[in-house]
Parts: sequence; structure tokens; C-alpha cells
Amino acid sequence: MTELAGLLPPVSLRRGLSYWLGSYRALTRWHLAGLRMWLMLLTVVQVMTGAGFVLGFALFFDHIPASAALFVSTGVPVINLVVVGLVLGPQLVAQQKLQQSYDFVRALPVPQSAAAVAWYTVCLLAGLPAVAASLLIAEARYGIAFTVSPAIVPAVLLTAFTGTMLGYGLGHAVPNPMVTTLVTELMIFAVFGFAPVVYPPWQLPSWLATLNWWFPFGHMAVIVRAGLTSGMVTGIASSYVTVTAWGIIGVAVSAWALVRRG
Amino acid sequence: MTISIEAKQAGLSATDWSFRAEGVTKIYGGTLRANDAITLSVRPGEVYGLLGPNGAGKTTLVKQVIGLLKPTAGQIRLGPFDLVADPDTARQLCSYLPQAPMPIDSFRVREAIELTGRIRGGGRSDVRRRATELIGALDIGEWEKTMGQRLSGGVRRLVGFAMVTVWPGRVVILDEPTNDVDPLRRRLLWDQIRLLAQRGCAVFLVTHNVMEAERSVDRLAIISGGRLIAEGTPSSLKADDRGHLRLQVMLRPEAATPPLPSWVRQPVRVGHNLITTIDEADAARSISWATDLIGASVAEEYALGATTLEDVYIRLTGHTSADDHEAA
Repeated sequence: MTELAGLLPPVSLRRGLSYWLGSYRALTRWHLAGLRMWLMLLTVVQVMTGAGFVLGFALFFDHIPASAALFVSTGVPVINLVVVGLVLGPQLVAQQKLQQSYDFVRALPVPQSAAAVAWYTVCLLAGLPAVAASLLIAEARYGIAFTVSPAIVPAVLLTAFTGTMLGYGLGHAVPNPMVTTLVTELMIFAVFGFAPVVYPPWQLPSWLATLNWWFPFGHMAVIVRAGLTSGMVTGIASSYVTVTAWGIIGVAVSAWALVRRG
Repeated sequence: MTISIEAKQAGLSATDWSFRAEGVTKIYGGTLRANDAITLSVRPGEVYGLLGPNGAGKTTLVKQVIGLLKPTAGQIRLGPFDLVADPDTARQLCSYLPQAPMPIDSFRVREAIELTGRIRGGGRSDVRRRATELIGALDIGEWEKTMGQRLSGGVRRLVGFAMVTVWPGRVVILDEPTNDVDPLRRRLLWDQIRLLAQRGCAVFLVTHNVMEAERSVDRLAIISGGRLIAEGTPSSLKADDRGHLRLQVMLRPEAATPPLPSWVRQPVRVGHNLITTIDEADAARSISWATDLIGASVAEEYALGATTLEDVYIRLTGHTSADDHEAA
């Protein structure tokens, strides 16, 4: 029998930054390994979704207006960034609840914030290749010369963060997995069809534009668009505030769901 | 908890690491009493069985220990720590193998074990060596690089056990650890459970398998209707049955339960088996009665033997462990 000093049951508690970082690293690896069989397929689907939007939009027109091409090309990255965290994330949690493995995952000794940030990292990594592909396809198809500024970095990070945290909160807060699945499907429908992400808000009826003003998805498109173009969008600061506020709501709901004990 | 972490850690190696649940009560929705004033303690080095029919409140109790549920009343302590007040501490000090399959479809066996060990705070090389030790001890080396989705239920269960114990906490909670495991590896698994206890863990064994528990636990509690109705060593729990024998009559499949003689006690029918308790003094006439049943083509065979923990369980809960296992 190999003698392992560490195998004696612990007499100390792990606390502090090293505990957090160790948990973050291990959980990021855990999530990546858990998605191993799907990550490649997920990336391909994401790229195809982006390409489908970018190329398919042109089919509505004999000659697609430059402004429409620019809107769809700068809106699709938002879909690429949020779909994993907002849709796949809660569905994976719902699946764990259905398969009753949720308790094992919840009982792992990790700081909940490290678990959330690890999942955010994975969602970001899963979305970025599709963002790059969508932009390259748009550039090739429409000859758009994007004006990429440093503002794209916080825009991408914040958009993915808010999408991920909203999905994370939804997955953990809703006890019934079936409800989670239905809500995520409703969100796909809402974000793809009725949020001003790939088209401008003035195309919507005024009541729907006003409604969207309170939700984060149109604002995500504004801040990402601001990082890819020059002089195309206004009201960037208020959009950052709105997306950040929804990110905080996502964090708060997640924290409530993970800390509560029935 | 008012003592600082540092102060606690300074004296923890000399601490009494007993697990204590005192008056643990869990009420759902204001009326459903899932746990009712459960008090028990487990010392380091003990394997402690938690037995009871489905819905008895075993899982509710376990979930309160690991911080997934909060007791309505009562205390749960491990050494100097209040696990109710600090669920993060509960997660660090308790390892939990649930009855449900582990979520390892996309993981290779060794990877799943080592990653869990790292998450539980083990160092890279120590976890690797310990994983090697467990893979060898449980005889699952041939699946070391196999993806979880290709594993049989039994091997998956063994991998789950290895994940939970590769870097164990002070309390190790195992919910039906031997489910689907073949008899040979089941023995290896029990060896590892005993070894965990010898290394200083308090092992909680949640099971329906009374026969297995009788052979493997140091002490056990029987829970029914949310209440702890008996606690002790397997021998002490059987003390009331001294002087009694178990008579098991295997009835023909189509046979109704026959009228029972007056000296037969606590009859329970499970499938085609009629399980009863008799006084030793009634052995001869019981054999005669059972032989008559065979002669009348009501029964196929019978067995007379010493009472077991199963008989105690039947007497206390009104269930057989087979009932509970089938329903689980």
C-alpha cells in the first residue's frame, strides 16, 4: 500500500485565493472534459448558425442594402456569444437534475463564484471561434471593412458574461427541468426573432422597441457593434449600463439559487 | 462559529472529529416531517449504516449533512464545525456518492477520478498515486482510459466510488455503493470502505441491503417515517430476537398465503416467500407445518435458520429490504 500523507482525512479547511484559483482551474478542466464530445460539434453548429444568418439575410433582398448587411454582420457575433451560456448552459443543468447527478455536482467542495467563472470561461471559449468565423464570412460576402477598436474586448467579455450569468441563474433557480427547457426555447425565439440584434430597433413596432429597451439583447448588439464599427451607434454608455445591470441580475439570481437550501 | 479559522486549524489535528447530529428535524411545507428529531453520532474509524424503507428520510438527512438542505431544527456538527451554519465547510469535509449515476459520460475513467481529486484539494502527484492505488484495488484498470458512456453500470459505480474517495473528506457518505457491482469487485469495494475507516474517516453507508450491512457496518441506525427507531451494533439489534428462529416458506407461484398457526409471528410475504419468526421451542411443529404445506402442494420448500438483521428490520419497519430495493 502506498503511503500518502494527504490521504489522511483533512484537518484544515481550504480558504483564500489559492483555494479559489485551484477550484477555478479544476472546474474549467471539468467542464471542458464534460463537453469534450460536443465541443467540436457545438463549434461547428455555432459557425454554421453565424454563417446562416450572415448569408441567409441577403436572400431577403435583390440587392442587400449596405446598412442591412452591416447590421446583420455586427449582430450575429452577439448570438454566437450568448447562445452557449444562455441556452445550452441551463439545459445542461436541467439534464443533471433529470439524471439526478445534480446533487453530486452541488456537493463538490468549490467556491460557487469559482464554479460560475469557470463556466463563463468555457462559454466564452465556445463562442469566440464562431464570432471570428462570422466576421470573416461577413467580410468576404459583403466586403465590409470592420473598424475593430479596443472597445470590442469589454463588449465581448460583458456580452458573454451577461448571457452566461442569466442562463446560469435560470438553470439553477428553476427547479423543474422541463420549465427550464421551455424557457430557453422561448428565449431563442425572442432573441433571434424579436430583439433588435441583427436589425435596427426602428424596424420594430414602437411598443416592442420600447419593451426591448428594458432587455439586454439589443443593448448587447449596440456595444459589440460599437467595437466593430465607427460612428454607427449611439447611446453606448446606457447600453453598457443596461447589459451590466442584467449581468448583475444574473449573478444575484445565481447566488440566490446556489446559496439557498430548501 | 466564533473561533477563527486559524485558531481552529492550529488545534485540529488533536480534535475529536466525531460526527454528531442532534435533534435534526426537517419539515417540508409546514406539515411534512421528513426527519423528526434524529440524534446520532459516528466516530472516526466507524462504518455506520443508515437503513430504512424508501421515503424514510435517509436522503433528506444526508442532504442536510452535505449542506444541500437546511434543517428546520437541530444541529449537525463535525469536530469543531457547525455544518448547518457553514455549508461550504460541510462540502469540504464530507464526500458524497449519490445513488444516481455519476455525470461522467464524456470523461475517461482515470481522468474523472483525478479531476475530482484535484477539485477536492489533492495535489497533482498525490492524487495521481491515489487514483492508481484505487484503480488497482478495485480491479478497474482495464477501463482506465475508457469513456464513461461505454462503462457498464457496475464499473461506473466503482468509478464513482473512486471519484468520491480519491481525496476523501472526514465524513464519507456512500448511498448504495454496491449497486450493480459484480460479487468479486463488491468484495474489493468493501475492503476499500473498511480501509477508509481505518484511515480515520467516518463512513456513512446508506443502503437497502440489510444482509450486506449486517456483515459490513460497525453500527447502524434504522430510520422509518422520518424517525430513528433503532440504533446499535448488528448484534445488539438482534438481541431481542435471541431464542427465535426465522422460518422461510417458498410458496408455489399460484398459491395464496395459507392460514398461519398461532405460534408463527411477524409474517411477511415477499413475492412467493413467506417469512416468519418462531420460538426455538416451536421448531419441530413448525417443520411439521411447513412439510404439510409442501405435501399439500401449497409450498415448494422451506428453510429454518437463525434470525438475521433482516428480521429485525422487518419487525421494526414492516418492510423487507427486497421490497425497498425493488421500489428504489
